[in-house]
Order: sequence, then structure tokens, then C-alpha cells
Amino acid sequence: MTPTRTRRSLTVVAGLATAAALALAACSGGGAPATSSTGGGGGGGAGDNSGYTFAMVTHETPGDTFWDKIKAGAQQAAKNNGITLKYSNDPDPAKQATLIQNAVDSKVDGIATTLATPDALAGAVKSANDAGIPVVAFNSGIDQYQKVGAKMYFGSDETLAGTTAGKRIAAAGGKKALCVIQASGSVALEARCAGVKAGLPATENIQVNGADDPSVVSALQAKLAQDSSIDYIVTLGAPIALDALKAMDAASSKAKLVTFDLNVDAAQAIKDKKIEFSIDQQPYVQGYLAIQALYLNKKNGNDIGGGKAVLTGPSFVDSSNIDQILPFAKNNTR
Amino acid sequence: MSQTTTTPPSAPAEASNRVTLGWSNRLLARPEVGALVAAIVIFIFFLVVAPAFRSPASFFTVLYQSSTIGIVAVAVGMLMIGGEFDLSAGVIVTTAGLVNAMFCYQLGINLIVGAVLSLVFSLLIGFLNGYLVVRTGIPSFLITLGTFFVLQGANLGVTKLVTGSVSTPNINQMAGYGTLDAIFASSFKIGSVTVEITVIWWFLFVALSAFILQRTRIGNWIYAVGGNADSARAVGVPVKAVKIGLFMTVSFLGWFIGMHTLYKFDTLQAGNGIGNEFLYIIAAVVGGTLLTGGFGNAIGVAIGAFIFGMTSLCIVYAGWDPNWFRAFLGVMLLLAVMVNLYVKRLSTARKVG
Amino acid sequence: MTDTLSEHADPGLHSGEPLIEMKDVGKTYGAIRALKGINLTVRAGEVTCVLGDNGAGKSTLIKIMAGLHPHNEGTMKVDGKEVSFGSPRESLDHGIATVYQDLAVVSLMEVWRNFFLGSELTSGKGPFATLRIADMKRIADEELRKMGVVVKDINQPIGTLSGGQRQCVAIARAVYFGARVLILDEPTAALGVKQSGVVLKYTAAARDAGLGVVFITHNPHHAYLVGNHFVILKLGQAVLDKKRADVGLDELTRQMAGGDELTELSHELQK
Repeated sequence: MTPTRTRRSLTVVAGLATAAALALAACSGGGAPATSSTGGGGGGGAGDNSGYTFAMVTHETPGDTFWDKIKAGAQQAAKNNGITLKYSNDPDPAKQATLIQNAVDSKVDGIATTLATPDALAGAVKSANDAGIPVVAFNSGIDQYQKVGAKMYFGSDETLAGTTAGKRIAAAGGKKALCVIQASGSVALEARCAGVKAGLPATENIQVNGADDPSVVSALQAKLAQDSSIDYIVTLGAPIALDALKAMDAASSKAKLVTFDLNVDAAQAIKDKKIEFSIDQQPYVQGYLAIQALYLNKKNGNDIGGGKAVLTGPSFVDSSNIDQILPFAKNNTR
Repeated sequence: MSQTTTTPPSAPAEASNRVTLGWSNRLLARPEVGALVAAIVIFIFFLVVAPAFRSPASFFTVLYQSSTIGIVAVAVGMLMIGGEFDLSAGVIVTTAGLVNAMFCYQLGINLIVGAVLSLVFSLLIGFLNGYLVVRTGIPSFLITLGTFFVLQGANLGVTKLVTGSVSTPNINQMAGYGTLDAIFASSFKIGSVTVEITVIWWFLFVALSAFILQRTRIGNWIYAVGGNADSARAVGVPVKAVKIGLFMTVSFLGWFIGMHTLYKFDTLQAGNGIGNEFLYIIAAVVGGTLLTGGFGNAIGVAIGAFIFGMTSLCIVYAGWDPNWFRAFLGVMLLLAVMVNLYVKRLSTARKVG
Repeated sequence: MTDTLSEHADPGLHSGEPLIEMKDVGKTYGAIRALKGINLTVRAGEVTCVLGDNGAGKSTLIKIMAGLHPHNEGTMKVDGKEVSFGSPRESLDHGIATVYQDLAVVSLMEVWRNFFLGSELTSGKGPFATLRIADMKRIADEELRKMGVVVKDINQPIGTLSGGQRQCVAIARAVYFGARVLILDEPTAALGVKQSGVVLKYTAAARDAGLGVVFITHNPHHAYLVGNHFVILKLGQAVLDKKRADVGLDELTRQMAGGDELTELSHELQK
């Protein structure tokens, strides 16, 4: 390792860097057309050119495909009605409240927000109401949205969804279910598992690290080895369902798999009968309706839901309807 | 000091003055001993309380879990012996997989080409980490914290831009998949036991790292660079090249696990891998690596990763609430650090004789 | 021990032959002038003592010769050829070895690894060539014993040795690897009387073996015990440059201290 040697390796690396940069440039150039039309649906319609600006604020942790669908729905509604959509997100409740406040300060025409942490966001929602900006809630906060001051709610009832799934498993002859929680400390995920347990009392929860697929697989593999009486696995997100399939395979388990939410691969697995069914809360609809409802409220003074939450789920996807749904999943709208 | 005789010694007279250290001291001076004792204790403990753990199949599941952390930890351990940190090691894994998957899928190119490109890209990140550290003298903790955030954001941003979603498309139908799957993510049966290939790779990398650290001049340089960079430099050790090389080793093994994750799961979520950098560091520290550099070895780091894998799964085997795992991990870490401190004091204390 | 030194010393060294010649050498760091107009000749078989208080420019002078910072004024010749070192490695390749006061060794590494650090013995070439560990242990042990440095165990971390022993290992290492010029940076500064004595003996031994020695210190007493030639630096310039025959310890001490008040002190100390 004389100095000359080092310098030569530097040049090599620099050369490689250039190659990588070129390749990347080529990549983005060639890749764009294939998937850019994520808006899906009937984007062609002229719609109303309302000129409203709506803000959408969520507690999304970056990196979850679920939120892509919410955004896709919201963008479609915005496009249909000539709305400028401003999307922002932060998983930290205090920062989410700040984002709502930002929207109020920038005098948007309406705000759609998730209420995963209603107490932390109540102040910001109130300041929006005080400023005369309508607020609708979606995705989470079904029990508290009215108290916080949101006009409408579009989303799934997590407990109800869980209970329905639990009952359906019990009806299919399931004896013991394992409910897989992929993020610690999430009220919504805990509520789903609690619901499953309400429908099927012999349900056990397991905590895994959803950000690390190999560890999810080995943890589930270990659990299946430890408790052979488990005959149903319930995962709370589509990517985790695919990990569970790997684990069941490795552990030669005969358990059946049920999942919340959908993505392309999970939809394909339902078609291939590897997943029994999915409990879909239809995130695309949540995003779409939240924006559409704000539009109707501004434009026409409408109020949707008759003072009650509008449920977008649970909608079951199984072998009976997967053929219809699969193309939409591939389009990132289901 | 009393050994420093002032008369030129004649060998026989001196012989009585020259002793080797007692075996207990020499044993305790080895970095991995504390971890080995801990591993054995935990192993026996879980054999007793977790009946499901008492099967070869379970043991190999534990080895698999350990290997996915252990492979990167091998490099992180070497880097820490060399006196530096890499907080970007967790996200580099995801970056490597994403580059491979998206590049090939979007352009319809053979996956092997993408894997090589991804390797080059990962090495470049490692080089950049190392270069910035040795060039600016800013602590590697800060430099790699920066890289960590850059990569985390770029992983999500670029993936979203390219695929329109935050996960990559399924690549298992593409050319080259079979070869790469066999290299990075296959498994084979020994009797009734499934052995994941990463376990074999892990053992190979540990052996290679142990060999390099103990038996080659580069190993000598790594210890010297971590122990005292100035004196290493003064006797002609190419300190900067060694450090850059270590960062590139980390990104190489990060790439390796990135390939494993991609070919095992066929798709990757762009937000994954965050937080694992700490697991690598924990494995290295539990395995006896000194945080300040200059001390540690490959076997110790492997044992550290094994303790991690064993603990995380045996809590499940024992049927306990896995929510407690992290708390347990923290306790392990604290114990390891204290044992290390004790061992280091014991082994480097001046022997008065 | 002199036998051992001459065994490894370059047979081509002739006493009195100039090894390093500095002419009008200066060094500036930005606007700060650290060294100016230094004329210094290091001769084989002689100890050149460089004295000076903290901040006098001693360490800058070392850094120039050791290759840590190149000089930017004047010329430096090694063996008659003009050089400017860009790295410690270049300096080492010219046979100039530097032993630093506090960073001579890597304390957590074994004695034998320290002895061979940077010049490891390997079988074969390339980065993965195996170390000849048994040979290295044997040689390090033999060399140290021949020089009277007796360590309990060649495998113990060098940090467990005394300060004097560590300096001696570092000097022995430099000599073993064929240094022609040995730069000793404050080798006795942190040592007790007895250990200083040991280090001074090696310094003299290295000189007698024909090496050129640069002995940096702020202790004129230590310097006078081994020195052939004395240079005193003050604020980056040489204020005294004399052969041993032309200068006495008293003058050195006085010059070092910079005045009469220290003459008093030296009287007091000599009581």
C-alpha cells in the first residue's frame, strides 16, 4: 500500500463512480414511462376547474406502500375537480400538528387529515375551524373525530375489521390464530389484533420488526416451531404477509394465512390461493373521498355520512373476487 | 520497570526473570471470552426454559437470524477495531437491493449486471464515507450519520420517482434471477434441517476476517490504526487507505446482505433497513470490540451476532412477549460493555514484578 | 548491546559523513512563521542535540525531517540529494526513523506486533500474504533481549511496559529496520532518572554504531551527556550552534534558560 498504489485505486473507484452515475441516468430515463400513470381510474374526465387548494396531512412513516394508494386516490379526486393538493406527512404527532397549522397559516381552502393521535392534533384542528377552514378526517380517528372538530370521517373501523376477520376464521374452522404486529406502539394495529381476538378468542399476538424482512421470517418461523397448534396467521400489512409465506414454507407449517391490506404480490398470492383472504380498508377510497367531500362541502355545502363515519372497509378480497381486483392492485389503486 | 536491567544481559541469568503471563490472564485478555461465556449461559438458559428451542431445526433458524446481522457485523467490527463508526450500514443494505432491482426492472437488463452495478455503487458509498472521514477529520459518527439520512431519503425518493411506489417490483421472473438466488438466498437440507446459505457465507466471512485481522499485515495495520493512528502513521502505515478500505468493506458486506434480502423476498420496501446499523454495532460491542478502537476480533463479533440472533428468537421459542426483546438487548449491551471494561483493565494493567 | 546495533547498522556509514544537510530551511503555516533560516547537519556517528523551550520550533523541525509536513523554504539534502518529504513513508524509505515521545507505540497491541508494525514479515506477496508470526516473535524477543530490554512476555500488550521500556522498544525497532538517522523526540521528558539513563545509553549506543542521531530535548543535562553538537532554537531560529568542544554545560543551560536568573537556579539545584 504505497502512496502510488492508493492513488491508482482512487482512479479506479472514480471511474466506477462515473459508470454508476451514467447507469443511473440511463435508468431513470428508460424507466419513467412504464409506471408513471399511477393515477389510474378515469383520469380523462374534464371535471370542474374549481381552483381550490386543499391540504392533506398524514402520519405516514415514509416507505409504506399503503400510503401510495391514499395519495393516488387523493390525487385523482384533486385532478377530477381542478384542485391543487398539498400533501405533507410526519409520524411524530407534534410535527403533524405543526403541518396542520402550516396549512391553516397558508390559508388553504380545506384540510384532510388522519387522526392517529387525536389529542395531539385537537389544537391544530380547532385553529383551522376558527379560521373557517373545513377539516375532514380519514384513515384513523373514527371514535374521536367529532370531538376533535372534524366534519366527516372516511375510513375503516379497525376493531370491526378485526372482529369480522376473526369471526370469518372461526367460521372456516380456525382454532388458533397468530396476529403479527409489525410496528410497536401503534394503536390501530393493536386494535386490529384485539378485534381478531374478539372474533376468535384463541388469538395470540406477536411483535416483529417490519423494517427487517429476514428477522420477520425467522421470528415467525420460530413461533410456528414453538406452537404447532397455530392454524391461522393474521398479518396486518401486505409486505408482512409475504414474509409470513416464507416463514410458513421454511417451517413446513400447514397454517393458513390472512392479511390486512393489499399490494400486487399479496393480490397475486390470493389468486394463487396462498393467502385465504385480505381485509381491505380501501385506502384509495379514503384518500379519494376525503378530498371529494371537502370539494362538495366547499362547492355545495354538502355533508356526507349523516353525522356518522363513512366506512371504507372492511372489504374482503378472496378467490371469489380477486380476478376483478388484481388489475387494480397492479395499478396501485387497490 | 524493575525488569529493565541496566547491565547487558547474558541469557541464562535472565531466564528466571522471563515468565509468560498466567493462562487465566491471557485467556481473559482475549476479546471474545466475555461474549463466549455469555453465549453459553444464554444458550443453556433457553435450552431449559424454551422446549421449542431444543431441535436442530430451531438452532439453524437461530443461525440464519444471526447470519443476516452477523455478515454486516463482521465488517462493522473490523471498522470499529480500526477506530471508526458506520451508521449508514443499515440503509446501505436497502440501497444496494434497490439499485439492483430498479435498474434491472426499468431497463429490462439481466439482474447479474445490476448486481455488479449495485456492488460498484455500494463500494462507492463506502469509499465516500471513508474519504470524507480521513479528508476532513470530522468524526465518522457525524459523516455516516449524514450518509444515513441521505441514503434513507434517496432510497424513498428515488424509488418513488422510478416505480411510482415505495417498493420495488417483483423481479423473480427476470433473467439472472436463478443464479443470484442460488448465490445469495438459497438453502439446502442436511437431514431434516434446512440450512440457509447465508449461514455458510457468514462462517466464511468470519473466517476470512479472523484470518486478515490476525495473520496479515493489513490486520496488523487495522489494529494499529484504531489503537493509535498517529503512531501507525509515523511508522509508515497508510492510515487513510486502511480506513477507506474498512468503510468499503462495510459497504461490500452491506451489499451482500442487500442482495440476500432482494433475492429472498423478490421485492424490497424502500424504508427498510433503518435501525439495523445499531444491531451491527451492538453485535460488535457485545463481542468484545472496543468502542474506541484497537481491540476486538472477528470471532467475538460472530458470537455477538449469535447472541443477538439467539435472544431474539428464543424469546419467541419460550413463548414470551417479544416486546421485551429490546429491553433484554439493552441489558446485554450494558453488561457486555462493563465486562469489556473489566477485561481490558485486567489485561492491560501494569504487572508489577 | 553495541554489538547488536552495529550488526544492523548500515555498514556503509562512515563516522562524520553528513547524512542530512539543511540549508536555510524555513516553514510557514499560513501567516505563521514556525521556523526560519535553519542550518543543520546531521552526521553519521554523532548525536546532534536540538534544544529549545516549548514553541521554539523543535517539533516543526522534526516534522520536516520525518515527512509529516514538508518545508517550504531552503533546501534539505539527504545523502547529498535534495529532498522534500510528502509522507512519513518517504522519510522512512530514506532511512530516517522518528521515535516520538508519546506516540511511539500502539499500547493495546502486543510487543512483537509493535516491533514489526509497518514492516511486517510476510511469506509471499500481496495483501493476504500470511504473517510469519513465529519468526517475528522470535526476532523481536531476541533483539530486545540483546539490547537489554527484558519484557516478561513478548505477547503482552506494550501498554503494560514502563515508559522507558516502550521508548527502548521503539528505538530498537528503528535500529533493527536499518535506520541511518534516528530522530528522538523528547525521549526522556516523561521518564524518571533511572529510565532516562537507559534511554540515554541506547542513544549513545546508536551513535557508536555509526548512526546519525537527532536528539530533541529541553533538558541540557541529558543533551550534554550524549551530544556531539548542539543547536538551541528560540522562536523558530537557531540562537546557538556549536560543537561539543566549543561549549560547556553551563553555557548550554544558561542559553536554554535565557539568562542569569537561571544561573542562580542552577546553582541552587547543584547544591
